[in-house]
Amino acid sequence: MKHMRSTLLLLTLALRVGTGVAMDRPDADRSMELARTAYTDGDHAKALALFDSVAHEWNSAALQLAIGNCHFKLNDVPRAILHYERALLLEPGAEDVKANLELARQRTVDRVHELPRFSLGSSWERWVGGSDVDQWARRSLWLWSLTVLFCMIALLMRGILRIVGLSLTGLSLAATLLAVFLAAGRTAQVRDTAGAIVLQPRIEVTSEPRAGSTTLFMLHAGTKVELRKTEAGWCEVALANGNLGWMPANALEKI
Amino acid sequence: MNRLARLLLFLAALWGTSVYAQEIAFDAKVDRTAFAVGESIRLTLSLTNAQGNIAHPDLGGLSVVQGPFESSSFNMINGRASSTITRTYMLTATAPGDYTIGAATARVAGGTISTKPIKVHVDKGSGATSDRSLNEGQKRDRDLFVTIGLSKEKVYVGEQVVATYTLYSRYPNLELSDYDLPALNGFWAEEIDIGETNWQEGLRTVNGLQYRVAVLKKQLLFPQRSGTLKIEPLRISCMVNRSFFNRGSKVETQSNTVAVEALPLPGSAPQGFSGAVGDLRFEARTDRQSVKANEAIELTLTITGTANLKLVEAPVIELPPDVEHYDPKLIDRISMTGAGMNGSRAFQYLLIPRHEGDFSFGPFAFSYFDVAQGAYRTLSARPILVKVEPGTGGGAASIARPSKTDVQVLDQDIRFLRTGDPQLRPKDRFLFGSWAYAMGMGTPALALLLFGIWRRRSAARSADIDGTRRRKAERIARKRMKQAHEALQRNEREPFYAAMTKALQGYLADRFALGVAEMDESTLVERMSPAAGGEALAREATALIATCEMARFAPLEDRPRQQLYDQAVDPIQRIERS
Repeated sequence: MKHMRSTLLLLTLALRVGTGVAMDRPDADRSMELARTAYTDGDHAKALALFDSVAHEWNSAALQLAIGNCHFKLNDVPRAILHYERALLLEPGAEDVKANLELARQRTVDRVHELPRFSLGSSWERWVGGSDVDQWARRSLWLWSLTVLFCMIALLMRGILRIVGLSLTGLSLAATLLAVFLAAGRTAQVRDTAGAIVLQPRIEVTSEPRAGSTTLFMLHAGTKVELRKTEAGWCEVALANGNLGWMPANALEKI
Repeated sequence: MNRLARLLLFLAALWGTSVYAQEIAFDAKVDRTAFAVGESIRLTLSLTNAQGNIAHPDLGGLSVVQGPFESSSFNMINGRASSTITRTYMLTATAPGDYTIGAATARVAGGTISTKPIKVHVDKGSGATSDRSLNEGQKRDRDLFVTIGLSKEKVYVGEQVVATYTLYSRYPNLELSDYDLPALNGFWAEEIDIGETNWQEGLRTVNGLQYRVAVLKKQLLFPQRSGTLKIEPLRISCMVNRSFFNRGSKVETQSNTVAVEALPLPGSAPQGFSGAVGDLRFEARTDRQSVKANEAIELTLTITGTANLKLVEAPVIELPPDVEHYDPKLIDRISMTGAGMNGSRAFQYLLIPRHEGDFSFGPFAFSYFDVAQGAYRTLSARPILVKVEPGTGGGAASIARPSKTDVQVLDQDIRFLRTGDPQLRPKDRFLFGSWAYAMGMGTPALALLLFGIWRRRSAARSADIDGTRRRKAERIARKRMKQAHEALQRNEREPFYAAMTKALQGYLADRFALGVAEMDESTLVERMSPAAGGEALAREATALIATCEMARFAPLEDRPRQQLYDQAVDPIQRIERS
């Protein structure tokens, strides 16, 4: 009994300390509510300040969408795009985010033709992406618990019931493995995203990581690029159409 | 005859001389002591009952416009005769201030006589500009001139100026034969109706000369661009002095040139500004607050005040999209007077709500440039709420509903924030790979492991119990059969059967790991059937047990006890062997 309690304590402590959050959840929810009211009243600057204060500690697709909306309303389209991309990363295939991103992209200067990419469609994307990053991790935990339960029941049974129990165990084990696989994929995708948005109004992309080298092409604020390498304040970026070049790291912000 | 005349003359002179010595006076008088620049006063010096030489007085800065005129008069009233010599000056001043007309002196019969000095005050003129143009006009032609007067010389673009064309004439008889209105470049002009051209009451004195005055025309001018806008002179030609006997002569003259300095409207105009400049009020109303669907409602936006009203355009109005509306009808109540263009301009919209519901028209806004404050102002009228009730379906009077149309996309905007739980999670923390995740995965695995160990142990233990029972079964049965044998020897009925039952039942229970409750024929058959001939053996054992029980509790013994004993030993030995 004593052991169990200390284990539980340790678990909660691990979760708590792991988050290391100064602004607790009720505070964040209150700030969100205030910010939403300000946004509805048209005071977008105030709403943005409040949303930003929440975003120091917390994150979610809804929050990133809200910040993007504030920037959009304040006519800062590149930052709006940045936050919409962040929201989309947290919740792939979210329709509202996609619609707003599309509208924001119409206001940027650069048009980059994306290379055709294999895609199974929006609903698949949404299913795989889940509503947040941890969804598949949580699902894998539930499925694993279910697998263990099925296994125990099967061991207690005899005859036909045992066979049914064992096949259920097998199925849920397969599902667990799939969920773990997807969770690993999603976490890696979010953690190691290579996307970035150009925030400077106008930036020259050069052939080498130094000022004064040959300018390959120009990019304008709001364009999405992919980071390849980083070297002494310079980044090698790739456009969606495959073009490569170097630009100063301070001209971009990572999604 | 000649004599008589001389005598009379002499007598008269004699009589005259007799009164002559009585009253001698010398006065100076002005008709008023205060006047404005450009006006003139009359200075009269009168010497009574004396013959003398009047010296020119010091006028103290005033200038003579006319005169001096001299006149003399002789009166005889009730036998008293008096004579007066009068000298008249018309004086004017060119600058405001206080002036002193010095004493005038007259030399009378060897002595001098003088008047008192007179102080006069001169005011600033009533209208410097018109005075300038009057002076200029007078300089061109003393007898006939025209002027153009402006109510303001510095205005904003679009602000109204009243231009007055005035004729001044000293001819007793004048016929206006022709006039050329000046070309107005850069202005939009509106005529002010002043009726027939007539001479004004009274005379106007300009620099001491008196004129008859007639206003020929009045115009409202609205500058259309900024800068200095010149108005060319007005030319007129008249016939003067025409009478029955005289064909008269033709006189031509032209007015001064005037200029309006038009200031550009400052800064950036508010949205919806369409060039109205002046002083305005704005009102919006509907003729009804509640209608039925498909019935018309009139929305009137009225702009009232003093401004270039005729140039005011309809304010942009925003209406709910499913309200049909038509181009507005213009209702002007504009009057043009010397005070400018004022009145109201109303825009009457016919609106037809096609669906029931609560509609809000507006808010309406109208922007204009306020001349008094020199700034743009936006007037707004509150939204008008109109309740539209369902229209009466059918009936000849009802208007057919329009055919279905596509939903119009009016504008695009980003989608709104998400409502509900924002599902906040700590930033940059991932469940996957965290300690919590490891524990979440590890705990069920550990549980499974513990479950497996527990199960294995308990299975081993239960297997061991059955084995022990089986192993001990024969020994216990042998012991009980021995007790039964002893009871048989002693010929005790009850203990014999009790031992027999116990031995058989106990042996079977232990041998096949059965509970006492499971000890019935079918269970036994099921358990023993795997062995060869097990089923028959089971039935035999059950029958034996039943016989023993029967004999134990009822006085029924169908066979000798020794035979029963042997029969019971046989299946036990057979089971042990199998």
